[in-house]
Amino acid sequence: MEYYVIQSLNALVFAVILLLSGLGLSVVMSLMNFVNLTHGSLYLLGSYIAVFWMATGQPWYLAFPAAFLGGAAAGLILDRFPFQLFYARTHLMQVLLTYGLSVVFADLMRWGFGAHIATPQIPELLRGVVFILDTPFPIYRLFVLASGVVLAAGLWFLFDRTIWGAVVRACVVDTRIVEALGINTKHVFTAVLALSCGLGALSGALGSGILAAFPGLDEEILILAFIVVVVGGLGTFSGVAVSALVLGFTMTFAKMLSPEFSNLMSLAVMAGILIWRPDGLIAATRREV
Amino acid sequence: MAGNRSTLVLSVVVAALAVLPLTGVPDHHLRLVAEILILGVAVMSLDLLIGYGGLVSLGHAAMFGVGAYAAALFATHVSPDLLLAIPAGIVAATLVGAVMGALVMRSANLFLLILTLLLSQMVWEVIFRWRDVTGGADGFRGIPQLTLPGGMAIDSGVDLYYVAGVLAVGAYLVAASFVNAPIGKALVGTREQPIRMTALGYSIPRIRLSVFMVSSAIAGAAGALYPFVNLYVGPQVAHWTMSATLVIMLVLGGVCTLFGGFIGAAIYLVFQTHVSSYTDRWQLVVGLAFVATVLFVPRGLGRELHQLLRPLGLGEPRVTAETDKKGTVR
Repeated sequence: MEYYVIQSLNALVFAVILLLSGLGLSVVMSLMNFVNLTHGSLYLLGSYIAVFWMATGQPWYLAFPAAFLGGAAAGLILDRFPFQLFYARTHLMQVLLTYGLSVVFADLMRWGFGAHIATPQIPELLRGVVFILDTPFPIYRLFVLASGVVLAAGLWFLFDRTIWGAVVRACVVDTRIVEALGINTKHVFTAVLALSCGLGALSGALGSGILAAFPGLDEEILILAFIVVVVGGLGTFSGVAVSALVLGFTMTFAKMLSPEFSNLMSLAVMAGILIWRPDGLIAATRREV
Repeated sequence: MAGNRSTLVLSVVVAALAVLPLTGVPDHHLRLVAEILILGVAVMSLDLLIGYGGLVSLGHAAMFGVGAYAAALFATHVSPDLLLAIPAGIVAATLVGAVMGALVMRSANLFLLILTLLLSQMVWEVIFRWRDVTGGADGFRGIPQLTLPGGMAIDSGVDLYYVAGVLAVGAYLVAASFVNAPIGKALVGTREQPIRMTALGYSIPRIRLSVFMVSSAIAGAAGALYPFVNLYVGPQVAHWTMSATLVIMLVLGGVCTLFGGFIGAAIYLVFQTHVSSYTDRWQLVVGLAFVATVLFVPRGLGRELHQLLRPLGLGEPRVTAETDKKGTVR
């Protein structure tokens, strides 16, 4: 019993990391119709920022805003050049451009940060374990879980309940009408991209205490986040959440059942969902005029 | 094919390739050319899906890998005869392609991309974990050399080069006749106007399934020859990064041209071989070069070449790859 509770908590923690990295990807994909495969690189960048920040002895909690700002700044630069040229292009061209960039970034980071596995010095406060049903569970994981839930709720509020979110969603439906209302949609898109890249880096900073940071992690996270977003139904908030939970739980419990076949089982579950529902778990309702 | 003149150009290219070994090119260079031809065939088969069908698959390496392992296993355990081992690879890859095609035929765009990725990674997992049969992460070693029906071994770079050349010409003819056949035209129709094609009575899933099978068979043929270049095959041939490499080669060479696959494979492999001997940062250089291609030569180098060859009668390809600006994957 305790074992299952602990494994469920582990699955939830993993799902939260997937959710956060997936949400960043999902936001640009659904709102801007832009496929950004550099998202994994931004995740890894965030992880490295957290690792280096915590090694400097600065207040540890500032590592997360630092990662967010670092990612957002990278996003602003990328938006200027070359992403803006590709917003109106086909998905294939976007995929190719951003995949090429992610290869470049991966090698730059290997060059700059080395090929070893970098782990952050987790602050004293988050280092220990708590006993849940007499079983130890790392406090850091609970911290990730809590911050993830808060962040996701905040994002949902931002996009669903504020006027700024309404503008962004209006841009998805009809950019030209929004332009006619006197809003510069280019700035809206820039802001969304910066937010998404910041989120990617922030999820990397949070995840670094669990998954560490090493070359190749960018690709792994990218693929998982991409699977989560597409299986969820491309850009529905609830879809991403459900599919992150499904993947998080499947991967954790499959590993428990049979480490040998865990990947195969997780892949099969995700593929099965896409075969069963070709438009993803929760498809966005689109009105064609 | 724009009639006799393109047949002429094709014959000239084939003739030039046929006499290449007589010019004293070193054996290991011929091996590289053989590898280019083999990967070019795989890229060309992917062009049927991506270029003509608009079906962006990130799982093509699964078929290539299954063809490679099936041929290697067949050669080791049954017979190293060329005329048996290669068909074994083709059959295995076609079967996998048929299953995959049947599973993905309802999907489109990014959903198709991810579904093919998931399914091909399942194939990779099987190859990677089934250590007793495939050798797992270490790869499969001890593959015998292919033999001709008479029993003559295909051991030198020259022999391998000629086998790859015959494969490339054969695969090109199959792919070209598929594209020019009614089914090929219908395939382009489903890419451009799916609703209109359905209204005309075409079954889009059936067309997709057939292109998946043809493309898998060609990829399987290429994969079947691949292990015999180095007498080794590793699980990375079926990994999704291999699929991504094939897509990159396709775009470098030019989508929707068929022959662009060979140009893309040549650029990529030559580039990789040379840059990696000069610098450890070859991934950076390859990545930058690829980004530059996407930025400045988005139609691929093969198409630019096509334009240059226009006076020779090869003209612009009839079908353009990037027509839809609505954001559907092309």
